[in-house]
Amino acid sequence: MICMSSLITIRNWPRAIAHIDADAFFAAVEQSIDPKLKGRPIATGAERGIIAAASYEAKAKGVKRGVSISEAKVLCPECIFLPSDYETYSIYSKRMFSIIRRFTPVVEEYSIDEAFCDLTGLRRLYRTDYRGIAVKIQHTIERELGITVSVGISLSKSLAKLCSKFRKPKGVTIVGGRKIHLLLERTALDAVWGFGPNTVALLEKHGLECALKFVERPKSFASGLLGKVGREIWMELRGECVNKVLDGVYSKQVSISKAKTFTPPSSDKNIVWARALRNLESACIKARRYALAPRRIVLLLKAQDFSMRGDEKKIIRPTSSTNELVPALRDIFEAIYRPRILYRATNIILYNLVDASPSQFNLFSDPDKLLRNEKLFAAVDDAASKYGKHAISFADCADLKEQHSGSRGRRTWRRSNRDKGESDRKYIGIPFLK
Amino acid sequence: MQTKQIAEEKLDALRRFYRCNKRLPTYSEMCRVFGYSSKNAAFRLAKKLIDEGYVEKDETGRLTPRADRFGIPLVGYVQAGFPSPAEEELVDTLSLDEYLIDKPEASFLLKVSGDSMIDAGIFEGDLVIIERGARPNNGDVVLACVDQEWTLKHLHRRGKSYELVPANPKYPVIHPEGELTLGGVVKAVIRRY
Repeated sequence: MICMSSLITIRNWPRAIAHIDADAFFAAVEQSIDPKLKGRPIATGAERGIIAAASYEAKAKGVKRGVSISEAKVLCPECIFLPSDYETYSIYSKRMFSIIRRFTPVVEEYSIDEAFCDLTGLRRLYRTDYRGIAVKIQHTIERELGITVSVGISLSKSLAKLCSKFRKPKGVTIVGGRKIHLLLERTALDAVWGFGPNTVALLEKHGLECALKFVERPKSFASGLLGKVGREIWMELRGECVNKVLDGVYSKQVSISKAKTFTPPSSDKNIVWARALRNLESACIKARRYALAPRRIVLLLKAQDFSMRGDEKKIIRPTSSTNELVPALRDIFEAIYRPRILYRATNIILYNLVDASPSQFNLFSDPDKLLRNEKLFAAVDDAASKYGKHAISFADCADLKEQHSGSRGRRTWRRSNRDKGESDRKYIGIPFLK
Repeated sequence: MQTKQIAEEKLDALRRFYRCNKRLPTYSEMCRVFGYSSKNAAFRLAKKLIDEGYVEKDETGRLTPRADRFGIPLVGYVQAGFPSPAEEELVDTLSLDEYLIDKPEASFLLKVSGDSMIDAGIFEGDLVIIERGARPNNGDVVLACVDQEWTLKHLHRRGKSYELVPANPKYPVIHPEGELTLGGVVKAVIRRY
């Protein structure tokens, strides 16, 4: 029975947004190509010692994302640990998105294993209700790829995301406008997309214990306490579609972050610097690919004991030419690097990104030189597309070896079973069954 | 406050540039083509062209024409005389990929091991293209899961049940008990010498 007083909206489907989330994606892909792994506890991430994804059989034993391999071996001795095969995962991911695009052109690739899509108005085309469409998408993905997904459909992205989590794996959860309150009643605050531990603690201080209580407060309460973001979440949870499904292949970048852990950890200044510089190179490659340039750069150094130091600097003229950012990076590095500390990772963040094309020259810079830099890095990228990433790189990075492919990071099955004519750079873009 | 549409002369200039160079101009080249003194003007024009759907940006940020609005002839363009028949022919060619694969999203590769299908012309080391989720016809070569291993066999229907028949007299016919799991149907065999 519906209690009228808690009804949030009487319009059932002003908009139908679906969130499609693959179940234990990396592990499911491994099970889909290797029948020996079906029905068994497996986990990926062996190359870095920490679980990236666990199959449902492993999850049942407490093995989950973020657990270390040694811990996992205690929890589930029969668990099989595999190195992450990102080549194959990426192919599966692309295929999943193109299958969804057969149903609707408005698809947002939100992450490697989840997508939002807009299904409004498709009921007549498929001659079925939204649940029917969800099941169709689910079946097609399972039939063609051999992996399962959970689908949530509701009025906004936030609600759809709650729905897809509601029943997993292989769940279908459809919540129309008149049933939103029933979903929110069962939703803890920390399950809401955008509520972190601090926000949850703040809301709990105001006596809210579930998402329904949050949306029952007036809009002014949400915006007063949490600002614009809070107001938008409040509206989204009430079924108003504030955040549109962004149907470009990539959503607009807000920041670019490159973090890499290296083994063994090092306190050698040159090595740590080389690692930081390599991350800057990678971040700039990405920035150039999206024609973006940062106004600010952050460097974080992570020590072996997981403590972290970092600082940021403003860039006077936004640019994606790596060598123009190096002085700023060096300044931060000199300020935060301490000898005799074992470092295990460096992280570069480029943010306040602006469009790279119409950049202003400032009074003291040499425009000729800057344009030459632009050309230089266009050539560097060109060489990379032919000879591999970092084919041309700073001399400081020359001694770096590829991480995670040596003794500890076992090569993936696919990498050690290349076919004639394939190389690590160029391989057939179709998954191999084992 | 959207105002004027993009003037046809500008589009024509872009089309001319495209015909000569087989690509769209960069911002600095647009400055030259249209006599702009700043790249910003070129940037604005590019934005307008994108908004109106004449061109789009590829992932490297370069402009590419959209065939439907920009109006590129499907037949190869030659400077003078008749359209080159060679180019006209090439428009409708299939790549080997397209020739071998009907459903790209559902196709997988398997490296053949063993000799149980040699009489069907499938040898050890061959690559077979497997289509997942395809409905097999009687006699098709399928990828079946037997004892947690993939195996290639002919699928034959016997009344209500199925049997997996090898193409090599050395091997026995398999009568799957219970549920038969199919990995897919073999659509092509590839062998490199």
